[in-house]
Amino acid sequence: MTDWRRRWQRYRRQNRFLISVYLVLALLAAAGFALFSRLRGLPSEELTNRLLFFLLWWFDLTLIAVLLFILVRNSVKLLLERHQGILGSRFRTKLLLSYLVLILLPTALLSVLAAALLSQASASWFTAPVEEMSRTGTELAAEVRESTERDAQRAAATIARELAPLGSGEARTARLEQLHTLLGNDFTGLSVAGRPVVELADPRERRVQRLPPLELGQSRPTGVRSERSGGTVIVRAWQRLPDGAVVVVGDAVPDRQAELQRRLATTGAEYERLKLERPTMTATALLSFGALALLVAFAAMWLGLYLSRTFTAPLLALVATTNRVAAGETLEEVPIPAEDEVGLLVGSFNAMVRRLRSQEKELRATVGRLDAVLGAVRTGVLTLDAERHGAQGNPAAATLLGEPRLAVESVPLDDLAAAGLGRLVDVIRGARGLQRTSLTIHRGGTARALEVAVVPLGEEQRRTGWVVALEDMTQLVRAQRQAAWSEVARQIAHQIKNPLTPIRLAAERMARHVERGSGDLAEVVPQGCRSIVEHVLSMQEMVDAFSRYARLPATSRRPTRLAELVGQVVGLYDGVRPGIAVRCEDRLGEREVLLDPEQIRQVLSNLIDNAVEASSDGGEVVVTVRPEGAEVVVEIADQGRGLDVVDPDLLFQPFYSTKGRGSGIGLAVVQRIVTDHGGTVRLEPNQPRGARAVVRLPGGDA
Amino acid sequence: MLACAVLLAAAMAPELEIVLSPAPARLAVQVSLSGELPAEWMDGLSAGAPVSVTYRMRLFRNRRWLWDQRLGGHELVVKAQRDPLTGVFTLSAELDGEILASGQTDGLNEAVHWVTHPPSADIRVPLRHEPLWLVGRAEFFTRYKLLVIPTKEASEWVTRAVPEAP
Repeated sequence: MTDWRRRWQRYRRQNRFLISVYLVLALLAAAGFALFSRLRGLPSEELTNRLLFFLLWWFDLTLIAVLLFILVRNSVKLLLERHQGILGSRFRTKLLLSYLVLILLPTALLSVLAAALLSQASASWFTAPVEEMSRTGTELAAEVRESTERDAQRAAATIARELAPLGSGEARTARLEQLHTLLGNDFTGLSVAGRPVVELADPRERRVQRLPPLELGQSRPTGVRSERSGGTVIVRAWQRLPDGAVVVVGDAVPDRQAELQRRLATTGAEYERLKLERPTMTATALLSFGALALLVAFAAMWLGLYLSRTFTAPLLALVATTNRVAAGETLEEVPIPAEDEVGLLVGSFNAMVRRLRSQEKELRATVGRLDAVLGAVRTGVLTLDAERHGAQGNPAAATLLGEPRLAVESVPLDDLAAAGLGRLVDVIRGARGLQRTSLTIHRGGTARALEVAVVPLGEEQRRTGWVVALEDMTQLVRAQRQAAWSEVARQIAHQIKNPLTPIRLAAERMARHVERGSGDLAEVVPQGCRSIVEHVLSMQEMVDAFSRYARLPATSRRPTRLAELVGQVVGLYDGVRPGIAVRCEDRLGEREVLLDPEQIRQVLSNLIDNAVEASSDGGEVVVTVRPEGAEVVVEIADQGRGLDVVDPDLLFQPFYSTKGRGSGIGLAVVQRIVTDHGGTVRLEPNQPRGARAVVRLPGGDA
Repeated sequence: MLACAVLLAAAMAPELEIVLSPAPARLAVQVSLSGELPAEWMDGLSAGAPVSVTYRMRLFRNRRWLWDQRLGGHELVVKAQRDPLTGVFTLSAELDGEILASGQTDGLNEAVHWVTHPPSADIRVPLRHEPLWLVGRAEFFTRYKLLVIPTKEASEWVTRAVPEAP
């Protein structure tokens, strides 16, 4: 069974009751009207016309009522739907209005045009010439009949005049026969006292003789009467004689003439009947056409409603589904089947839904894995929206920051700042791009060293969010500190051990000389004391350097023209050592950098000192200051002996020196100052020879 | 001008006269028309078309507070048709579908007179104490307003009080 057949059967089932009621009502109304008309004694032909007229009115009125009902019902329904903002009501309204305009307007125009044409055609049937012709024909037929009547009357009068003097008897009969033959009557008779006495008839026209006798009035002396008989018209005239006898003359109109007369008269009468019926015929035709037009309008309106419902149903289902999906409900397919382009759209949507479901499933799996990973890792991860209003993190972040709410919900940054994480919040809010920094937070009476990386998501102009990675460096820093202290202790021990040995040897030598009572005590003791004092002074110098390194003041940064600062420091080394040239290459210009000028001056002095010391005669120390991206780079390059260590980073350890003299604390101080400024410093070979110190400082706007 | 035309048409409309002759439970209604009959009606009669005049009679009971109650309705249909071949007018009068009288006449005037002065119609009257009214008019044919709305070409409604039976 096809789908269309099923739909038709469903439609029939739904509308069977209404159609049945309508037909039964129509039949009952028609039967009632027929019965009522019958009771009024209408003839059958008029009853048929009245019944047809009634049925036409019935259909027209009911169709108009149904149309109005549908129009009003759907208009009210659409208005209510539009008022309530129900989806699709605007589209259906426009579609229905379009159908109404497209169908009702032409139908109304056609109806008016048809009415005008019918009226004109009806008028053209009853034009004056036609009416004149019809009337003339009728009059002609009447005139012919009247002429025949006059002839008959004249003949009867003539015979009566001839018979009057003769009295009753055979003479009168003979004269009657003569006159009958002479006048050529079809019938001539003589009645006395109402009884026929003589009847003379033409053998070819016995029809006249077979007619019943005339009912002759007593008061009228003469008269004439025409009667239909056997397809012709028979005219009988009578003339009363003075003695009371009556002469009757009859003539039958010839068949052919009678037929022509009949046709003329009948046509005229029929024309007059039609003329009287003309308004009824016009009204019937108009009502018939009106019924057809209403049927067309009804069908068009039904079709418009059906099509609007058919068109909008899958679209509305589609829109409703997309709205539900947009509102956050689960993805679902549109269940309404469609077979046209809308069907393709629905099919595409369903395919998209299936694909999205699959992707959503994969995404959920990925998110689940990511959650598991984030829950398992020891690195704290915070996620923030583009505006950085609130942060949500994994359990590690909640633990690191001491905020359990972070693992459950988004916590406003202001709350975090109020909870003592102000430095972290400042770092997060202050990041313009990828930023790495280290900071220490104090939570619950313990300090925690964090390595913080703020990573933006999306392009710079269209940030979609931020991710903050928190690495707990507390243990590592502690280990590094212990290692540093171990190294410091080792270096101190090494540095102390170096003078202690000569001190111990000097003391032992003096002791041996004292034990032996050597005579050169006066020489040995002062010599030994000088050696001891010299090495103690060396140890004092070492302790002072260590003290300076430990008491390095806090950084006080302010906007400074770095190129100008470098030029000042380089100027101090002009001619400090003969044969060594120190010059500055400024590629930075007037740009200011946020730094502590005194500490940076110390950094430059230490590095230039090393470069000058490492340079041989004729050498050149070039100090270059230049911008590089968001940083400012200061390079101090010499042409000396170069780096004689495998790992240049060892040179930055306190008390590490390859020069065999000095405290070995200079480069350590340099690294500490540069690091405190958020920069880096490294040593690398210079090309073609020598060494080069590269200092990178954050070169953001001052 | 339109008002004059309407007044003129109203003045030219035939007038119906009703004469009532009461009898116990019966009422003899004698109707008669005076004035010019509609031209179309006369033309149709002269030319041989079947024409008729329907005398519609309705009997009402007078009620004080409600509208008058209709007790019955009767139709006296008087038909006339001229045989254009013989010039004889065939006449008949039917009361509520039953033939009341019939006849033939040779002259147009006689035929018109027969139609405008039909035989007396004897109708049943229910026995009641309240005043009764007979309302009647003569209908000639149907016209159509706006081509499709039927209206009757008829005389004015005439109301007569039903007299007490002797």
